Amino acid sequence: MANKNDNKTNSKPNIIKGGFIKVMGNEKWQPLTIPLFSILLSLIVASIIFLILGKNPISAFHNLLQGSGVLSKPNYASYKSALTDFMTLLDAMTPLLFASLAVTVAMRAGLFNIGASGQMLLAGFVSTVLIGYSGLPAVLAKPLVIIVGVVTGAILGGLVGFLKYRFNINEVVSTIMFNYIVQYVISFFINSYYVDPVSRQSRYINPEARLTYTNVEVGGLKMNISLGIVIGLVVAIVLKFFLDKTRIGFEINAVGANPKAAKYAGINVGKTIVSAMVLSGALSGLAGVTYFLGYYSSIQPRVLPSTGFDAVAVSLLGNNNPVGIIGASFIISVIDQGSTYMSSMSGIRHEIASLITGLILLFSACGAYIKYRINITKANLSRNNVKEASK
Amino acid sequence: METIIIDGLSFALPLFIMAIGGIYSERSGITNLAIEGLQGFGAFFGALVVVSINSASGVPVEKLFYIALLCAMIGGALYAIIHAVLCVNFKANQVISGVVVNILSMALTGFLVSQINGVVFGSVSDKFQLGVSARFTVPGLSAIPVIGAIFKNVYPFEVVIVVIAVIAWYILYKTRYGLQLRACGDNPHAVDAAGGDVAKIRFSAVMVSGALSGIGGMCFAYSISANFSPYIYMGYGYLAIAALIFGNWEIVPTLFACLLFGFARSGGYELAKALKLSSTFSDLTMILPYIVTLLLLIFFSKSNRAPRALGEIYDKGKR
Repeated sequence: MANKNDNKTNSKPNIIKGGFIKVMGNEKWQPLTIPLFSILLSLIVASIIFLILGKNPISAFHNLLQGSGVLSKPNYASYKSALTDFMTLLDAMTPLLFASLAVTVAMRAGLFNIGASGQMLLAGFVSTVLIGYSGLPAVLAKPLVIIVGVVTGAILGGLVGFLKYRFNINEVVSTIMFNYIVQYVISFFINSYYVDPVSRQSRYINPEARLTYTNVEVGGLKMNISLGIVIGLVVAIVLKFFLDKTRIGFEINAVGANPKAAKYAGINVGKTIVSAMVLSGALSGLAGVTYFLGYYSSIQPRVLPSTGFDAVAVSLLGNNNPVGIIGASFIISVIDQGSTYMSSMSGIRHEIASLITGLILLFSACGAYIKYRINITKANLSRNNVKEASK
Repeated sequence: METIIIDGLSFALPLFIMAIGGIYSERSGITNLAIEGLQGFGAFFGALVVVSINSASGVPVEKLFYIALLCAMIGGALYAIIHAVLCVNFKANQVISGVVVNILSMALTGFLVSQINGVVFGSVSDKFQLGVSARFTVPGLSAIPVIGAIFKNVYPFEVVIVVIAVIAWYILYKTRYGLQLRACGDNPHAVDAAGGDVAKIRFSAVMVSGALSGIGGMCFAYSISANFSPYIYMGYGYLAIAALIFGNWEIVPTLFACLLFGFARSGGYELAKALKLSSTFSDLTMILPYIVTLLLLIFFSKSNRAPRALGEIYDKGKR
């Protein structure tokens, strides 16, 4: 039935439609063009919301970019510039990047790691207690923070994989349970032993152990320099290579695509599930240390970072491709970081930022459908062209 | 002991009704991680209507509880259309769609609450104040030792939930529609061959799921938190999913899973109180329901069997 309709509308192809299909229809570029199209759609919807509220959408988006440090604001406080804002943006983006990579690895193996937040919190807490309060010199403390975070995250992730493989416990349930357990247990320890009476959070960690250099003076500016983002970009590219070119990467993809077929092909499905979750947990651990010992330097009890949930969305926007995720986490971070400035400049509530993010996700989730429609239309167009040529 | 039962029930039953919604959706073959968002949006819609009526006519919000419940069902069902369209019509990945629906719900309700509060009611606040619904005690029955606590200090919504749950059970297991729905989750092609409309059944199941989740959210808003605020997204929707998986996608076992959560939760609180532990220890007792779930799952999930076509996109042409 759908086909019939398509034929009717395509009987007189116009230039706009033809051009659109030409741009979008190239299957090689679709992993890039379709997310961009989703973003475009969501910006259009967001613009309509701005117009309903009586605000100028162009200036609102401009403010968003200014606030996040991508564009320059008209004036800055001393020691500040667009560059310092941009460095803060990168600092904020790092945990999201790692967490999204974590979700992606699990997703490639057909597992849904909704517990990245819990793994982050546990890794952040263990690193904070073991290294953050230790007073070790920076040369030792910083690498140790990363190692402890990776190992802690990997253990918790591996446990989830083990429960799945050995006891058939659905990973969605077990990760949700661990999210709660980790959150409450850590809250107990913080409130009992590590609480700062003024801030009601855990005591600040030793700056030597922090993965972000704060207020560094560079060229008359005071900026936060994130070590994590460098590691993050490298890890993303290595991960891309790992998933596409190595044997374990292939096995992970195979198990995710069809566990039964993978089993027939001689792949040890259980082992692959566990190793994918170990890797995913390790990446969540990196997200945790760059969040709690980088972007922040203390832990708020009873709060689970929302990063782990946003990461699901980012990996969707990034097509479960590590390189795509770099771009996707950048875009989501820009919207998040720019919202406060936009809100103060245009008087729109800053909650609109998460609404825009939500819209982007909604349209990205339609990505498969958009692709399907475009490819059908393309096929019909070319069929019509052949018909006309033969007339 | 009495408090454990009273508080346990008032937590378990809203969870149960959300889980039933989840069962409807998942038995029809649509994975539903969206319960968290559905309950939040339903509660938002119910709260919005009630607060508007209150500001227009001055009727106290506590008296409007049943209207709130009804509107929460409508709101939840309408919002569930997004999940249904994405999963049924657009053939999106159902897990992803669920997460997106949750994130969108949090963003949308957070934005709308503060926007509406600012523009319509002229206040700077991120919540709609609701208050706690009145409770009642059944005379006579409540005098029975131990079990009598079930009839003591009952929220009216608990009765509503029990009634709806019985109806939902009847529809799912005893009617033609219920049979078709369950078949959709196991073998959609058979339903198609028998003349059923898989897409329509799944669509309606997701909407039922939204309506029932809305009830759950509204009940939490009227009891535990006494307002609607973004803090309604406490993860109870995910807990409901855990309960229904634990209950093996069947309504009666799921009830026991929910009761277990409820009693473990209230029991943990009472335990901390009875041992006269400092308030920080309440965090440790809070993990009780989750630990219990994990341990029980270790023993029972070998026999767990998800609906066979769960999460699969229905494609007529596929064999």
